Amino acid sequence: MNKMEKESGIKIPMDVKNGKNTDLLTKFPLLKRILKARSFQFIIILPNLFVFYVIILAGIIGSPVGNRNIAIVFIWILWWFLLIAIMVPFASRVWCTMCPLPFFGDLFQRMAFIKVRLGKTAYLRNKMFGLNKKWPKYLTNIWIQNIGFLTLCTFSAVLVTRPFVTSIVLGLMLLLGTVMSMIWKLRSFCSYICPVSGFLSLYSSAATMELRRIDNDVCLKCKDKGCYKGNEKGYGCPWSEYMGTMERNNYCGLCTECLKTCPNDNIGLNTRSFASETIIKGYDESWKGFIMLALAMAYSVILLGTNGTIKNWANAPETGNWGGFFIYAAILWSSALVVVPAVFYFFAYLSKLITKSTQSVKEIFKTFSYILVPLGLLAWIAFSFPLIFVNGSYIISVISDPLGWGWNLFGTAGFKWQPLVPDYLGYVQLILLLTGLGFAISRGYRVSLNIFKDEHTALMGLLPMAGFALLVTLAFLTFFIG
Amino acid sequence: MKNMNIKKVVIIITITLTGALAGILYFNSSAKPIRRDIVIKARQYSYEPNRMEVNVGDTLYIKLLALDVMHGFYLEGYDIDAEIPANLSNFKVRKPSDGFNWKDTNEIVIIVTRGGKFRYRCSHTCGTMHPFMQGEMIVHPNHLFNGGVGAVIGFVFGLLWLIYKKNKKGHDNE
Repeated sequence: MNKMEKESGIKIPMDVKNGKNTDLLTKFPLLKRILKARSFQFIIILPNLFVFYVIILAGIIGSPVGNRNIAIVFIWILWWFLLIAIMVPFASRVWCTMCPLPFFGDLFQRMAFIKVRLGKTAYLRNKMFGLNKKWPKYLTNIWIQNIGFLTLCTFSAVLVTRPFVTSIVLGLMLLLGTVMSMIWKLRSFCSYICPVSGFLSLYSSAATMELRRIDNDVCLKCKDKGCYKGNEKGYGCPWSEYMGTMERNNYCGLCTECLKTCPNDNIGLNTRSFASETIIKGYDESWKGFIMLALAMAYSVILLGTNGTIKNWANAPETGNWGGFFIYAAILWSSALVVVPAVFYFFAYLSKLITKSTQSVKEIFKTFSYILVPLGLLAWIAFSFPLIFVNGSYIISVISDPLGWGWNLFGTAGFKWQPLVPDYLGYVQLILLLTGLGFAISRGYRVSLNIFKDEHTALMGLLPMAGFALLVTLAFLTFFIG
Repeated sequence: MKNMNIKKVVIIITITLTGALAGILYFNSSAKPIRRDIVIKARQYSYEPNRMEVNVGDTLYIKLLALDVMHGFYLEGYDIDAEIPANLSNFKVRKPSDGFNWKDTNEIVIIVTRGGKFRYRCSHTCGTMHPFMQGEMIVHPNHLFNGGVGAVIGFVFGLLWLIYKKNKKGHDNE
């Protein structure tokens, strides 16, 4: 039993620990060389940073009409789809590898783009600039990210349709990330504040890729601990993760520093089966699952739905209907923070009742909340498919006219909006929802075995949770094709 | 081991498809085709009615009105796209599959041939929330939804049954 298992009291399945995984770095030596290069992260962030600045600029000086401005079309149609439907499920937090938001913060702390500075900063063997204060212990969770994300999403009808608002929010996040790096050590912004990071942390636990130690014993014998403390080859983990004990993707930003600093070449980039980490550590993570699920439902009604009144409420800055906006916000917040968790708690209570378990309902509630990961992620992917397939043609026109100023750079500015295979989207959504449901139940059984120990009781305990997953899936099915 | 997994997949697919078929058959309806005269009013950022329920075989006579600014009306699955000028009863219509051959008209006639959920979307940029302006036409029988509900329920039963069988087999072996 390893440290994570002792802490959580949950046994990690063997195929998660080792065994079935394939190390991509052994299979593709060139990939290993690329990832181990000190310049790797800088090189992939740089073009992203350029695009990021174009987008911020476009939002400020370009057309205020969302579908004619690259800021909206690239961020909320293209980037969002790539993030939720491809990067997160298949490559974990690979977005964090290339995210430009912490670029200036890292630059300030390291005073270098690529170079490594040796020195002493707290436990680190790197010279770090800035105040390097320790992040308050009581805030070392994702509650701020939960609330921040919910707050942003409350204004989503404005955020995803107004280029100026998108630019201001992105600009503020960049500024906040930089300022925080001057005060607090390492990636405090990414770890505890960034609202995108919050849901990436939860859903990356389902990803089919992981960065992990190769051999436990090598880490146990390692005195250097370069992955954590840094050394002449690289910086100590910016996310404060120690590879010797790291069992989950949640808080690994795939910055690849540990690949460079490990003195034993003991880090692998593994493929693995989907949703194979079945551990929820705290209520902050559980609630992230509830918030994401509630938001996917809310967006299915507000953005993909047809009710004009609700759209007007969510769009209060234009309609002036602030009374309606407060009703909408109250429904959204109470659903995400109270109603959905309360319904889930009821099903957890049923689980305890059926199994006559000695475990507390709270513990059953928390542990089972893992089923929200595959269920919610696949629901979000199903929600996001219409965004790209229906509105993706805006990408073609906006490439030629990124600011909506009447340019025609590549001759595609006049491309007429045209949904792509809208008749078949329902089938895709049905398959995606079934996939989420299947993983929720099969992984739910794994979780149930950890709670109830014997197989018969585990199955009985799973039944209410399967009922919950079924109801959620039927609700999404009704939104999408009913 | 590999054969076992294939067997499980086959069982799951069979139960799911059986559920889908049951759903389709259970909710199957055959209403008599009728003529429906419908006026669809468009205003930022919704249609009225925002949801129409019709049956396969119905003939729809649709008039389109834009109450504030120019709007579009793109009906998925029926190859229809219209541009509706504000406060005029006439509008332009085309078949997207034919390109940009717009024709002036004051009514669209549709013979409903396919069941399912078909969204009508604004195809002319009309303001900030334009990409999300849409309504839906539900054509009964909606086999995809009915079959989907059956499939989802069948899938859950299939999965739970497989887990039960696996447990039972484990106990029997002990």
